[in-house]
Amino acid sequence: MSNGVLTAPGLAFPRETFAKLTPGPFLHTHLKQTKPLRPNGRTPEEFRQPIVNTGSLSHSNGSTVVRVGDTAVVCGVRAEVLLASDIPNPPRDGMQDEELIEELGLLVPNLELSTGCSPANLPGNPPGTVAQSLSYRLLTLLHDSHIINPADLRIQYTEPPTEDDETGYAPRIVTKAYWTLYLDILCIAHDGNLFDAAWAAVMAALRNTVLPKAWWDPDREMIICSPLVSEATTLQLHSLPIASTFACFSTSSHLKQRKEAESWILADPDSFEEEICNDALTIVLARHQNAQTRILRLSKTDGSQVNAEAVQGCVALAEQKRAVWESILTGG
Amino acid sequence: MGPEIIHHPLVRADGSATYSSSLFSVTAAVNGPIEVQRRDELPEEAAIEVNIRPSSGVGGPRERWLESVVSGVLRSVLLVHMNPRTLIQITLQVTKEPSLKLRRSVKDIAALPSLLHASFLAVADGGLPLATTMSASLVAVAETGETVLEPSEKELAKSRSAHAFSFNTHGDLLLDESAGEFDSQMWESVCQLAAKACADTVQRGEDEAMGNGAAEKLPWLRLELEDRAREGSAWRETT
Repeated sequence: MSNGVLTAPGLAFPRETFAKLTPGPFLHTHLKQTKPLRPNGRTPEEFRQPIVNTGSLSHSNGSTVVRVGDTAVVCGVRAEVLLASDIPNPPRDGMQDEELIEELGLLVPNLELSTGCSPANLPGNPPGTVAQSLSYRLLTLLHDSHIINPADLRIQYTEPPTEDDETGYAPRIVTKAYWTLYLDILCIAHDGNLFDAAWAAVMAALRNTVLPKAWWDPDREMIICSPLVSEATTLQLHSLPIASTFACFSTSSHLKQRKEAESWILADPDSFEEEICNDALTIVLARHQNAQTRILRLSKTDGSQVNAEAVQGCVALAEQKRAVWESILTGG
Repeated sequence: MGPEIIHHPLVRADGSATYSSSLFSVTAAVNGPIEVQRRDELPEEAAIEVNIRPSSGVGGPRERWLESVVSGVLRSVLLVHMNPRTLIQITLQVTKEPSLKLRRSVKDIAALPSLLHASFLAVADGGLPLATTMSASLVAVAETGETVLEPSEKELAKSRSAHAFSFNTHGDLLLDESAGEFDSQMWESVCQLAAKACADTVQRGEDEAMGNGAAEKLPWLRLELEDRAREGSAWRETT
């Protein structure tokens, strides 16, 4: 100091400190490069690749572990018998098969976030708003997608002809019970975009679900399940819908002119990006065999930066992702 | 014919409104800005809390999800940075629901425009600072591929897909919840139809002289808000 040479104190923050202090400008500087690259090293349109492991839980009818980046989700399917005689308001005869699952509640997803999967979700807490609304979104999507044939969930019995019946009387088939599938989804690590991971886990677990052979025993008046694995059947899914979530980072604010705002669409946001971004766009695509891809669900919430044109772009990206994930989920 | 609106039905809330469309009736109450609990406090903006009460029973996961959707829209409508570290509390009571049995997702989507309109009118009634006005509309696509704006219960029950859209005055897409089975061209045309319908409720048409046939196109939301503004400033003229 005395000789007049000043050594400047370190004014440059390390990367992590910058990200913690001013997350918005940190993401903005990454995105405004000529080739935008997100802090996590992905391009804006890039999705994370899932790692799928099926059949890892031995005591459930079907299970999967899906890991997408640092988001990890376990899904287990437990099948229980619902006796038709226990249903307070039995389904009407004229009811269409598609409504049956929704009417009787034969699919019950439940997402558990309070596992300590992130600092915001401490273990032991009752399910919060996020967990409840995610469970509900999974439930409505399961109903809307009609992936399970309701006939597969029926346990039927052919009544033998009684003496009163005339000869040639067609045997009467009655549904004595239904399979109810409880889908328990546990988030063991939360790094953004939980819905896509949870939905993929549900799909993979359902594909992996094995239902034992069950029949009505008229003598004991109860449902008997066969212990033989060879007699059990694997649940067949009509299609494999895949969800894709996008976030939108925008520099707009009520304090600025509208036209000054810039925005970027980020595919598959991680939790750092989810916290800063406003808009959330989820697209669920399904493709039946030899048919065109259809949109099952499109939901855009929170924020005003995504216009119809951007949504169309996201649908195209979601279609690419659907093809990739479908091959991973079916091949795994 | 626009929907039926009652302004300020509740005396003790800061702002309130009852909105009745052909499908749903919703009463909304707004209190704010009020003191916020420590854990919900946001340093730079007002927290928005939405409580939805169904017409019977207590709320469950469905209401939690609807609440998060409604609060997301209101956050981009309200000037939340004007009242940092406060709470804006909105309570919505559903008093009428469609009597026909609808698919769960269709019923939820059909409820959204009514919930949004009720809460927006209550927020405007409560005099909270707004960035923009908004309006919402419901579109159903029939099995034949025909789009129906503001469908009836029967049309909803037979629909292939249902779409709830919300736009602000600038025509920005605030919300879209679409469920069913559709392709992107269909979505595009539904989106345009909804954007037009939303714009019609807040914008006065180019030519003021409208024929009797065009009575349906009245910008009801704009007229309501203008009426309220006139009533609110009436004291100026008398003094």
